[in-house]
Order: sequence, then structure tokens, then C-alpha cells
Amino acid sequence: MKGRALGIYAGMAIAFLHAPLAILVAFSFNSGRFTVWQGFSLHWYRAAMLDPQLSEGLINSVVIALFASVISTVIGTMAAYGIWRRSAPVLSGTLYLSLVTPEIVTGVSLLALFEWAFRFLHLQLGLYTVVIAHVAFSIAYVTIVISARLRGYDRTLEEAAMDLGASQWRAFSRVTLPAIAPAIAAAGLLALVVSFDDYVITSLVAGVDSETLPMVIYAMARRGVSPVVNAVSALIVVAFGAIVLISQRLQAR
Amino acid sequence: MTRRTLLAAAAATVSCARDRRPRLNVYNWSTYIDPGMLTRFESERGVRLLYGTYESNEEMLAKVIGGNSGWDVVFPTHSRLAPMARNGLLASLDHARLPALRNLDARFRSPAWDPGLRWGVPYMWNGTGIVYNGAQTPAPQSWAGLWNPNLRGRMTMLDDPEDAIGACLLKLGYPFGSVDERQLQQAKAAAIAQKQLLRAYLNADVRDQLVSGDVIEAQLWSTTAAQAIQGNAKLGFAYPEEGYPLYCDCAAILRESKRYDLAHEFLEFLLRPDVAAANARVAETATANGPAQSMLPRDPVLYPQDAIYRRGIWPTALPSAVQRYRDRLWTEIKSA
Amino acid sequence: MRKIFLLPARFWMALFFAAPLAIVCAYSFLTRGDYGGVELPWVLENFTRLADPLYLAILWRSVWIASLATVFCALLGFPLALFISRAGRRKNLYLQLVLLPFWTSFLIRTYAWIFILRDTGLVNTVLMRLHLIAAPLQLLYNDGAVLLGLVYNFLPFFVLPMYATLERLDPALLEAAADLGARPFATLRRVILPVSAPGLVAGSVLVFIPCLGAYLTPDLLGGGKSVMLGNLVQNQFTTARDWPFGSAASLALMLASALLLAGLMRSRIARELM
Repeated sequence: MKGRALGIYAGMAIAFLHAPLAILVAFSFNSGRFTVWQGFSLHWYRAAMLDPQLSEGLINSVVIALFASVISTVIGTMAAYGIWRRSAPVLSGTLYLSLVTPEIVTGVSLLALFEWAFRFLHLQLGLYTVVIAHVAFSIAYVTIVISARLRGYDRTLEEAAMDLGASQWRAFSRVTLPAIAPAIAAAGLLALVVSFDDYVITSLVAGVDSETLPMVIYAMARRGVSPVVNAVSALIVVAFGAIVLISQRLQAR
Repeated sequence: MTRRTLLAAAAATVSCARDRRPRLNVYNWSTYIDPGMLTRFESERGVRLLYGTYESNEEMLAKVIGGNSGWDVVFPTHSRLAPMARNGLLASLDHARLPALRNLDARFRSPAWDPGLRWGVPYMWNGTGIVYNGAQTPAPQSWAGLWNPNLRGRMTMLDDPEDAIGACLLKLGYPFGSVDERQLQQAKAAAIAQKQLLRAYLNADVRDQLVSGDVIEAQLWSTTAAQAIQGNAKLGFAYPEEGYPLYCDCAAILRESKRYDLAHEFLEFLLRPDVAAANARVAETATANGPAQSMLPRDPVLYPQDAIYRRGIWPTALPSAVQRYRDRLWTEIKSA
Repeated sequence: MRKIFLLPARFWMALFFAAPLAIVCAYSFLTRGDYGGVELPWVLENFTRLADPLYLAILWRSVWIASLATVFCALLGFPLALFISRAGRRKNLYLQLVLLPFWTSFLIRTYAWIFILRDTGLVNTVLMRLHLIAAPLQLLYNDGAVLLGLVYNFLPFFVLPMYATLERLDPALLEAAADLGARPFATLRRVILPVSAPGLVAGSVLVFIPCLGAYLTPDLLGGGKSVMLGNLVQNQFTTARDWPFGSAASLALMLASALLLAGLMRSRIARELM
């Protein structure tokens, strides 16, 4: 009885989480601009596809998210493993602090750092500054996800491998790494998503050739609720839904 | 796909985007140009244009203030030109390379903010007034129309301290750019009294709510108002009798630019009547280009008649101390 | 050897998190430049300004709204996490279902709510078609809308740590409680709640801190009619162009967050999480 009530409640809660997006997606097929249904149309999807700024933003976002998630996953995995071997309070504290720093502060402080450094180096803001910033705030997410997995992992396995003569590196790469691979995949995915989603920090450290998709969407949305934004978000939901499903399959295997 | 192939694919995408043609980097307000004109400039000159957009002067300033942003051409609002020039951010224009400056409307050939057109080429302009829904309320004559108790919850003000406080000052009969603390305190009191009646402080976001009829009166820029009017014919736009602010965005070349010549060519290109007309059509705003104006429909919202135009005020940059005082008042209004 | 594993993270965080933060610290003691940026001389004024009743009132408001959002997240999120933790093989599916909406952009999620809540939005349209109301309700641009937006956006931050704790709850414990005759509610209060305290605290902190610094949600759903700490900071860096005061305000915000975190790290919860 109690179980069923809980199930109904959970169903409603999940519906609450999905309803706004479902409605947004539904109205992306509306031929009119407004919340009154005026007939089915793919007009807004065509408009989204043909928009050169959207496609350039998409390419930039994908490139940035790929680089940032790969780098932060490598760094974060190593950090989580190091912390798991023996605690590193300063690093852990810093990572947590980075997680709770208001985005605007992270963004402005990075912009200040870059501008200061550029006085000595002949460089400019660009895709790579966005990647640097994204890695800086993604490491914490990766480390937390992998640390959670490592907590449930039996230390003695690795020790046994080392007793049998494996170096620590071999023990790590042959025993521990495969065991936490699903968590690494999940962490990488999380990093990919936070990178793809970020607007505040990105808009501050982006340079001449690095306008990302959220920046384009923000500019469009500021001009009013545009159905093109609905269409783009529908595409993003579907794309990420597919990625999540695929990664689920991979992990289940 | 392994991580390595992913990386390779990503690297390939990046290198494809690289292009050997000379490049000009233009940073402009969003929807402020006809994309077709960008490609036209590219093919005419055999160059590549990198075009980025921003949403506010502050966003642009934060980027370029370091003097190493990579942008060549930016479009600051007229009142930002002098401060930017004083801070050494702008390159002065070479009029010998800009013969098409003669195409500028007479009003913009020697504007008060930049008499010799040293720093910026006037590009597009618009004013701040009141949009109203004619089916629900008569046209407001004065800024006091935004204090109408009958429209409680159906009015909005701009989420911008300069415009919002300025409207309060004008309503009270004070100058838009007042630096007098007593006047500013009275304006704050008026704004706080008004806040009870307001639905929200909204900028361009209000457009759809005007079209749908949710909002009946809104302080708004003429450009956004004209777009709303296209969506709902019952909407009208009023330039209040006390006066109203006018803003002109100007094309300027950054001093850091290493492509001074090409930047001038781009500015000259923007001054061509057909190009200016095409851009104004996309931006749906008023162009500062005289011949282009005659190629476009003469919308009285965008191009107010002379009698109304004369009431317009071109705001100037405020002294730092006054700016700070106003920022504080704005915070007090917002948290009241 | 262990040091080598930590090195990249230490390097990156020192260079791209700690160093920028040090710059912000320096800014907070400088003077406002006329057109943004900072100038000499060094001053303490930016911090003394924080004690102004105006800013203290904003702080208090932010704490209040963030607390309310945290309480709602806990009330909504706890049963959800409990359900998922007991869903057996379907656990991952439900977890992904909770997370799926958050794979889209924060902006899109917020705009979706504007789409639903405005006068001609879905809620008002449906209510009016059903003749339940004569005129549209003003659902947007008030504290309720801000709260809804915060709860909606940060609910997963609560559900995830809560779920992680509950998942490790030994089912045998629950069976034992039932065997001993405990009724469901007593089991919840005596067994589940005490064991899940770490998740509860961690989830609350993870919700409370970002809510305290939120600025897009109050801006978009609150219609700019109320100021929270995040808006204050944001405004200093944009329209007000007062970077030093913005820096001081963000340091205050971070100090509050860091104190909360330190409390979290000192407790046994820290060992549970990291």
C-alpha cells in the first residue's frame, strides 16, 4: 500500500520534471508563434536548420564540450584516484569550493586572469579559453562522481595485484581502472553536459570565434519566446536523450 | 568510437573552420545586420568576416576594455563613444577613406556627442517611449501614463536604470540626465510608488506579452515596439510630451585592430544606401543613412515627425559619482 | 606516485581557479574605474559598504528564499529518492528519467516555465477554458514563480546525494524493523531518516548554495522586481560597472558558502561523500 503511494508520487514528480519540456517540444510543432495551437508545422525546425549562427554555435559547442569533457575526465579521474589512496583535504576543499562558486564570479575572475596574462603573452580569447574555463569547473563534477564509485570499491583488490608484483601504475590501469570504467563514462557524460549547457562563464571568456549554442539561444530568447528556440531545445533534448540511452546500453553490457 | 577518434574528429572540425583569407572580426548587437550583406562583403573583398553578437554595451565593454579582445569593429551606443575614446580604446576614423559619410542623414553628420565624427559612424538609432494597447487604453501623452492605477499589473518598465530612472525624472519635470541628488531622490520615490502597479521590469522580453495582450502599457524602445506593432495592429507607440531619450549605435574601430584598412572598407560598405537599407530592414530599426531612409517605408514609430523628434534627448555619459549614486538608487528601487 | 595522480588537478585548479580568485580578492580592495575595470588606490570601502542595511536586507531575502527552496526540494526530493533507491533493476532508468530534463540548457528550462505561466500561457488558458477563472491569474513575476524555478532547477541536486545514501541502506534493516512490528511511519522516522541524514544534509547544502547565488531565475521568472545576492553581484559587473564592490560582494557570498561547506566537511558526511 505504502509502496504504491510512493510509486504514484514518484510518477507525479517525474511528470513535473518533464512536463515543461514536453510542452515546449509540443509547441515547437505549432505553426503559430503563440501558445494557441494553430496547426502542425515543421516551419520552426527548418528555420533552426537554416540559421547559420545556430549551426556555427552548435559546432563550437560540440568541439568545446568534447575537448573539455575529455581533459576534465582524465584529470578528474586521476584526482579521484589519488584522493581515494589517501585524502588530500586542500584539493578536495578547492574542488568543492569551485562547485559552489557563483558562476559570474568564476567567469569574471577567469576573464581578469586571461586579460592580465595576455598583457605578457600575445594571445587572445578564443575557443581554448572557453575549454580552459570549462575544464576548471568540470573537474569537481568528475572527481565527485568517480570518488562515489571508488568508495564502494574494495581496496584489497589493488593491493593483491601489487602483492603479486604489479607496479602501482599497472595495478591501477589493469585492476582499478576497468572496475570504475562505468563511473568514468558517467562522469565524462556529466562533464559533457555541464560544458554544453554553460552560458554565464562561457559568454565572459568566449573570444572572437567561439560563440556557443547557449549564447545564440540566449540572444534569441531575450528577444521573446521564439518557437525557433523551442525547436532547438526539442532537438537538444532528443539528442541528449539518445546519448543517455546509448551510454546506458554500453554500461549494461 | 574511441576517445582518440573523437579527438581526431574534433581536431578536424577545428582545422576545417580555419580559413586562409584575410579576416575581419565584427562585434555587433544581435539581429543588427542582414546576414546576406556579410556574405556580400566577403565575396566582394575576398575576405572572411567573423561576426559575433552581444546584448548590452557592458558585455561588449567588458571584452574590449583589456585592449586585446581580437575584435576590429564594434557598435557602441553614442554616449559610450567619448568614454571609450578617452580610455584609448578607439581608433580615430580616417574620413579620406570614408567618402560615403555624405550618405548620412543631415541629423547625424555632426552629432553633439561626436561633432567631427572622429570616433564612430552613426549606424542605427531608436528612442524610448510608451507602447500601449489601443483597444484597452487611450494613447498616453505623458510618462505619467505609466502610473495609471487602472492598469495595475498590466504595465512594465525597462529593466535598465538609465531609462527607468530617466522616465521618473522626466515625469517630475526634471532633466533626463539629472545629477541633482534631491531630484534623484524624488525620482526614486516615484519609481517605488510605481513598482506596486508594475507587472515587471522587462526589456525585449515584453514584446510577446504586448502582442498577446497580457501587457497593456510598456516603456519600450521604438525598435522593439515596431516589431510588436507588426504582430498586433491594436498596439500603438507614443513619444511622451516631457521628452524622451534617443540612442544611436555607431560603428567604431578599436585601436587594438590590426586591420585598420579593412575595417574602414567595412564601414564604407555599411554606408552604401542599399546595404544600409537591407540592414535596417532586418534590424527593423531606424537607419542613420539618408538615401537608405527613402528606400524604406517611413514608419512614424521608427522615424518620428520633426515636431516629435525635437523633443528627443541624446543622453550623455554621467560623471562617475552620479553613476554610483544612481546605481544605489536602482538597487533601492529593486529591493523596495 | 600518488602525488603524480593529484598533480594535474592541483595544477589546473591552482592556475585556473585559485589564481583568478586571488585576482578577485585584490579587486575587492581597489577603486571602481569609470568605465568598468579597477583603479588604485587600495581601499576597504567595498567591504564596509556591505554592512549597509540595504545590502543586509538583500542578503536576508536571499537566505530566506534559498531556505524555502531547500525545504521544498527536500520535501519533494526525499520520497522520490526513496522510491528510486528501492526500484531494484529499474533504478538506473528512473535516475536517468529524473536527470533527462537537465540535459537541456538551464535557459531553455526557465523559458519553458515562462511559456507555461504567462497570462496567455498553458495554465491560464486551460483554467479559463474550464471556466474556473474569469481573468488570467498573475502567475509570473512574483516570489512564487522564482521559488518554483529554483526548486525545479535544483531538485536533482538534492535527489542525487539523497539517492546515493538511501541506496546503501541495507534492506535487511527495514525488514528487521518490520519484523519487530514497526509500522511504516515509525520505520521511516526511526530507521530511514537517521541513516539518511548525511544525504539529507549534503543535498540541502548542494541546493542551498546555488540558490543563494542564483541570478538568472530571479531575473527571468521574478521579472526583475526583486533583488537577490546573485543579481546584486551580477549588476555590479554589468550595468553598475563597479567591479571592486562586485568582487567584495562575491567574496562575501563565497565566504558564506565556504562556511557551510566547512561545516559539511567536518561532519561525518564528508567522509561519506569524498
